[in-house]
Amino acid sequence: MTLQNLSRRSFLAGIGITGGGLVVGLGLQGCSAEAPPTFTTTDFAPDAFLQITPQNEFRFICARDEMGQGVSSGLATLFGEELDVDPTRFDVSFPGVHSAYGHPAFSGIQSTGGSAAMRGHYLPARQAAANVRDLILEAAAQDLNVEKSKLSTDNGEVIAGEQRYPYAQFITTAQSLPIPEAAPMKAPEAFRYIGQDVPRLDAAEKSTGEAVYGIDFDIPGMKYALMKRSPMFGGSVNTFVPDDIQRMPGVVDVVEISNGVAVVADTFWQAKKALDQLNIEWDTAEAAKFSTADLRADYQTALDEQTGSTTDEEGDLALAFRNGDTQIEVDFWAPYLAHAPLEPMNAVVKVENGEAEVWTGLQGPPFAQASVARALNIDKAKVRVHNTYLGGGFGRRLLATHVAEAAEIAAATGHIIKLIWTREDDIQNGVFRPASLMRMKASLDSEGTINGWMAKRVGGNILPDRMVGALPVVAPDFVPDGVLNSVVGLADTAMSNWIVDGSSVEGLAGDYDLPNRVIEHVTVNHGLPLSYWRSVGHSYTAFAKESAIDVLAEAAAVDPVELRLNNTRSNPRQHNVIKVASERMKSMEAEKVGSLGFAAHSSFHSYVAQVADVSVQGSDIVVNKVLCVVDCGRAINPDVIRAQMEGAIMFGLTAALHGDLDIADGRVVQSNFHDYPLLRMNEHPDVEVIIIDNDEDPTGVGEVGLPPIAPAVANAVFAETGQRLTSLPLRFS
Amino acid sequence: MIRFELNGQTVTTEDSPDTPLLWVVRDTFKLKGSKYGCGAGLCGACTMHVDGESTRTCILPVGSVEGKSITTIEGLRQDGELHPVQQAWISHSVPQCGYCQSGQIMTAAALLEHNPDPTPDDVEAALAGNLCRCGCYPRIKAAVLAAVDATDAMEGTS
Repeated sequence: MTLQNLSRRSFLAGIGITGGGLVVGLGLQGCSAEAPPTFTTTDFAPDAFLQITPQNEFRFICARDEMGQGVSSGLATLFGEELDVDPTRFDVSFPGVHSAYGHPAFSGIQSTGGSAAMRGHYLPARQAAANVRDLILEAAAQDLNVEKSKLSTDNGEVIAGEQRYPYAQFITTAQSLPIPEAAPMKAPEAFRYIGQDVPRLDAAEKSTGEAVYGIDFDIPGMKYALMKRSPMFGGSVNTFVPDDIQRMPGVVDVVEISNGVAVVADTFWQAKKALDQLNIEWDTAEAAKFSTADLRADYQTALDEQTGSTTDEEGDLALAFRNGDTQIEVDFWAPYLAHAPLEPMNAVVKVENGEAEVWTGLQGPPFAQASVARALNIDKAKVRVHNTYLGGGFGRRLLATHVAEAAEIAAATGHIIKLIWTREDDIQNGVFRPASLMRMKASLDSEGTINGWMAKRVGGNILPDRMVGALPVVAPDFVPDGVLNSVVGLADTAMSNWIVDGSSVEGLAGDYDLPNRVIEHVTVNHGLPLSYWRSVGHSYTAFAKESAIDVLAEAAAVDPVELRLNNTRSNPRQHNVIKVASERMKSMEAEKVGSLGFAAHSSFHSYVAQVADVSVQGSDIVVNKVLCVVDCGRAINPDVIRAQMEGAIMFGLTAALHGDLDIADGRVVQSNFHDYPLLRMNEHPDVEVIIIDNDEDPTGVGEVGLPPIAPAVANAVFAETGQRLTSLPLRFS
Repeated sequence: MIRFELNGQTVTTEDSPDTPLLWVVRDTFKLKGSKYGCGAGLCGACTMHVDGESTRTCILPVGSVEGKSITTIEGLRQDGELHPVQQAWISHSVPQCGYCQSGQIMTAAALLEHNPDPTPDDVEAALAGNLCRCGCYPRIKAAVLAAVDATDAMEGTS
């Protein structure tokens, strides 16, 4: 942990830090960014700042965008704990990349996704705050001429005997003192805020309509752009006739860019009406022509006939399958899915004098910076990105292709452009959770030990697609696009033939002891753009794994929860959440409306078990209640953890009950929420969350509640009806 | 020219009559609290009150609100105080990404206006048209029911 007293640095105003007082630069793990361009010290480049103003206000500014449901509240809790300041007093802001150009009015709090924030920041953030508190105490000791050991603190005030002094009173002296490197941190028994339900810092702003999202950002003179892109994956513009469109009310331009045709108008509605009249003839020579049935048949052939790359191989599988008393083999299907955040993709881009300025909400402004730089063929340093609140991320806002589109339109028309994707664009032209076909084989011996486990997954890989977005971020500007593309191509080839992309198979064999096991992967790539989607591979592997466990238990006529307990001896934390959930399940038997189903799955270093109470009414699956037991290490803010479990369960239920994206003739069939429905209020189950609080370091909460819900529901449907549903979404044939 | 009342003030617009009210409010009058989510009346993020009725404004032509009274999330405060529904939203830490919450709150406020003592089923039915991708439904429901209790308590003491 390196800290630097930056209170007198002239660049502070340039990066949006105003108000004076004590400003300390921090180097936080997982919070790195380029140094602001005006900051030239070579030995230390702060990426976060802690500020105490002369009015005794407390601010935390992180130069990198930070994502995480409630992460602002979480970070404020960590800082508040060790600085000894009520976390709700903190103003937390995330100005974006190259914050030297940050728009102070636009430093919104990021509060979406990201299972790594608390894991990465737990110690560094606390240490930094502890050091600053120590600095304040040292300054107070000098100013008051009192021994430091006689001083204490309470909620932003130094206490000396009967007297209380605001921290701000000592900042002038503090500015001249060296900052301690390793001041003692609190023992957990002394925590005042960590472990408490600190209210969300952004709740008021988001309950009054005042929170500003990318789509809300306006610049005088700005024009609206809407686009048509090829409906078939891989298609391109052949011809279009702009003349009639250009004469429509409000239309200022119709331009072709690399990804389609944009209509630019004075208002959204004028652009929309004109776009609806625009006929484009698409060149489909290179376009996809397959349908979901073709894709599934290709997957099935690969599953049956191809030997894949193997990973996580252990023991003697052949012997186990010869010796196992009970053996099962079941195939599971999970479809493509769209992320469908409620705020559709959008960006405001200004291109002027070879420089670009971007306003948008992204899960990583560097992606916007890099993709705009590539699109305009300018250096990354010439692109300034301002991040706003995100109207949902879930992995979708790791992509910045829409920002590059807006930049191209701005460059082509000479106007400041606000590009808005319609919901139809979002569902049909986005990036997708990969479809998967999975084969699970398992055997159980007479002792109740799972002595054989084979999992084989067929589908596309996310990593090569992610490299398309990520490589330009890390590559120097002088590396041409062609070279980057060839690197991506190499990665694609490698993952298709030799290496297994971890995210394609994660979760297929974890959690259980499984002395004899193998995971096999066959890449079948139909060319659809793929991306991380809340909980990534776990979103489908948990369904296969936890359904297979119940199928195995059924075949052996043993209790499925006992089977899980008996085979998690080497995984005590997972064993424990299963045990706690199974105990609560016993009392749920008396309360249940339908039948109970159990599933457990660890991901992102956290351990989760769930019980679903499910009824079946006609062909409808009704989820009445979900119990969720989670061990995510020390619970920093239990209420945020509960909110994340609730939200992930709803997100997972949308996938389990509704989520289906069909391809027909190379294009997505679904288009809006009437045929790509999200779970609605009248379908949501009650959720009970049990948090296993312990002394382990905190781990992820944003995604971990999702994986077990689909198999818990499928296992409950089996208990209720005797039908084993092996395809997502869960439907009776 | 179309004339209507927006959060208590008479306004006029030259936007073409078929322009959805949502875009007139957002881009002509610069009130950004009401959101675009689907453009098809399917998600409820654009919900405003039109003459007191909860209404999907992404498909409501501005020409049809001539002479009517529109309330948006920005006009929900009463005498400078947050609406009881908004207060309940904050005390329950309801919002996650927050994008749908203006629409949720407007629908909930209209429900309580028409049905001051809704059952949990009434709340679910009234809010079934407002999608929340973050899955805040349990808290939304709890907050609406808490707002009912808070309103009851206030009325009981006055």
